[in-house]
Amino acid sequence: MDLTFTPQEEKFRSELRGWLDANIPAAWRDPGFWRTVPDDEGFELRRDWERRKYEAGYGGIAWPTEYGGLGGTPGMKAIYDEEMALARAPLSANGLGLTFLAPTVMAIGTDQQKRDIIGPMLRNEVIWCQGFSEPGAGSDLAALRTSGVLDGDEYVVNGQKIWTTNAMHGDKLFALVRTEQGSEAHRGISMLLIDMHQPGVEARPLRQISGASEFAEVFFTDARVKASECLGGVGNGWKTAMMLLSFERGASGISQYATFRRGYDEIVAAARRLGRDTDPTLRRELASRLVELECLRYHAMHVLTQVEQGRDLGSESSITKLQWSEAYQKLFETFDHLLGLDGVVTSPVEDLDLASLQYEAFWTRSVTIWGGSSQVQRNIVAERVLGLPR
Amino acid sequence: MYFALTDEQRALAETARDYLADRFDLTAVRAVFEDTAGDGHPAELWKAFAEQGWLAVLVPEENDGIGLGLLDAQVLARAFGTGAVPGPWLPTVLAGEAVRLAGSPAQRAAVLGPLAAGELVATVALRAPGGSFDQSGVGVTADAGPGGARLTGTASPVEYAGVARTAVVAAKEPDGGIGLYLVDPASPSVTVTALDTYDGTTRLGGLVLDGATGERLPESNAAVLAELNRRGAVLTAADLVGIARAALTRTIEYDKTRVQFGRPVGGFQVIKHTLADLHVGVLMAEHAVLYAAHAVDAELPDAELAVAVAKAKAGDAAQRATAAMIQYHGGIGYTWEHEAHFFYKRAKRLVATFGDAGEHLDRIAALSIDA
Repeated sequence: MDLTFTPQEEKFRSELRGWLDANIPAAWRDPGFWRTVPDDEGFELRRDWERRKYEAGYGGIAWPTEYGGLGGTPGMKAIYDEEMALARAPLSANGLGLTFLAPTVMAIGTDQQKRDIIGPMLRNEVIWCQGFSEPGAGSDLAALRTSGVLDGDEYVVNGQKIWTTNAMHGDKLFALVRTEQGSEAHRGISMLLIDMHQPGVEARPLRQISGASEFAEVFFTDARVKASECLGGVGNGWKTAMMLLSFERGASGISQYATFRRGYDEIVAAARRLGRDTDPTLRRELASRLVELECLRYHAMHVLTQVEQGRDLGSESSITKLQWSEAYQKLFETFDHLLGLDGVVTSPVEDLDLASLQYEAFWTRSVTIWGGSSQVQRNIVAERVLGLPR
Repeated sequence: MYFALTDEQRALAETARDYLADRFDLTAVRAVFEDTAGDGHPAELWKAFAEQGWLAVLVPEENDGIGLGLLDAQVLARAFGTGAVPGPWLPTVLAGEAVRLAGSPAQRAAVLGPLAAGELVATVALRAPGGSFDQSGVGVTADAGPGGARLTGTASPVEYAGVARTAVVAAKEPDGGIGLYLVDPASPSVTVTALDTYDGTTRLGGLVLDGATGERLPESNAAVLAELNRRGAVLTAADLVGIARAALTRTIEYDKTRVQFGRPVGGFQVIKHTLADLHVGVLMAEHAVLYAAHAVDAELPDAELAVAVAKAKAGDAAQRATAAMIQYHGGIGYTWEHEAHFFYKRAKRLVATFGDAGEHLDRIAALSIDA
């Protein structure tokens, strides 16, 4: 056992912390700040801030330097994620591109794609969206029907995507499209890189139970995309998508712990302010939530170790997803139990503003759905980890 | 960052598992389980424990031990849980820890060498009926007598009180503090009563002391008692994690082959989802025990929290996994002939040993809410 980071990694942490201290405006650290800014304006602030962060040398932490990355260790990436969470840094404006698309392009993209995609993404000149889910293809993603028909050297795309993050601000979309007409299930699908600034692409925001609109629907009506804008080869879309999704690994659990633990402490502080932190039953309920958060932290160290040892986590990432999403959601159920009727209003007493916690509580209802619902994750764990029959 | 067992620790786990599978499988466990009049202490097994160095793991090298840490010891505790193994390993090892932590050089020499060699079975007597596993749960008082301390009171249940030749007894002292004393259970002022228990993978007894002589461990105090309880909680949590993993693995294997409605029952989604959740829970408990053992070894600032998390989580995982073992074997899992009840009963006992879920959750609450 050795739970320390190397001296180089710790040096990286202290330099990054110094930069974040100097470059995150005080107002941004207020948990309610981003809800007070209009969506468009907030997005531009984040986009610009992230570009400055990249220019300061903090982009693509674990990416090879040949792609403009820092060439850092998995430990540095974990430290980076944790420090961003601790500093309340804004969410990435290009998270799906940076996390998923870029490593896939590095692995299987053409030289042209590597040149065209990675640099502009790091500089936030191009914001990427993911076009996977459809109204008729949620958990059963292979049921997707958006079609692409070859016309000369272009595909003509028709159909609809849904739950598209950042679609209202997106520039391009990596989308799964059925390019072989009449094909079924996993076959005949290609991953096309579609320009969203064209007449045939229309995005409409979806309002969520929290009142916010992080997601949108995207409609394609004879949208056009060059045949060369296909990632991973025509007809290989499913394989490309599986590779792409496998990049959601590493040690994101360490930063999630930092975020969720802050939620725990804020919930405790609110309960204390209302004199509701002494009920023995509720105290035990809170403690059992912390048990799960601590387990998430230990699990994240296990995952980081596996990554550093070069092991493939494979289906184990479903275990990680189940642990963090279920623990996070239950923590906010306890928020309701603790505060009772006072938790219903935004400000039950002077100097106590619950708006951010209430918002987060609604958000936690989504985390067990997106990225593979808990039910899908349990199927994966049962079949691929435990070997139970399909 | 290296959050995992070393190759040596993994080899130790494998050796223990292989030995038990080969030489002390569930048939052997059953013989002990059903021999309720027996002492529950198979001599061959104990001899093997000594030969393999499994009693010496925490004993310092200067006392003829191996001088490893709690992380290594928990590897063994986990293997013993996996095999539902009887015998006084845990109480003996913990008595050794008390002497190592608080004994004089002479006491260490007298106790630890024989203990490591398998020549001394020992136990710990740290709480009275109704008490918790802390200072408040101690039911023995020490009074200064003319020839040394005199101990009076009750400690129960004490694991393997019937075969232990030395007991480490916690006692409240006249100045309000706590001391740990070496007591000979065979002395005339000590009454040892065998206690009936549903868990045949151990033997329990009660100690009644009536002015018994005790040899004080000079460095002992309330903090040492707390440390001993923490170490007991970690090793108990490791046993629980071993139980949980064994129960889950056996259930999965059974449900892959048990056919109803024309298909293996393990293919039904409601069973798959429950087993998947159990796997996540057991894995998290395994992580928590590893972390807690390391936190105690390395004296990390969050060691106290980590121990409480590990014990609460391991108990929960074991309780769920052993209950599922009965449920998902169907009627056969409820029979005496099936082994499910060994695991279920051992888990029930250990969940309450060295602090039940409530005690540990209260500690976590105190550390995270009131701090």
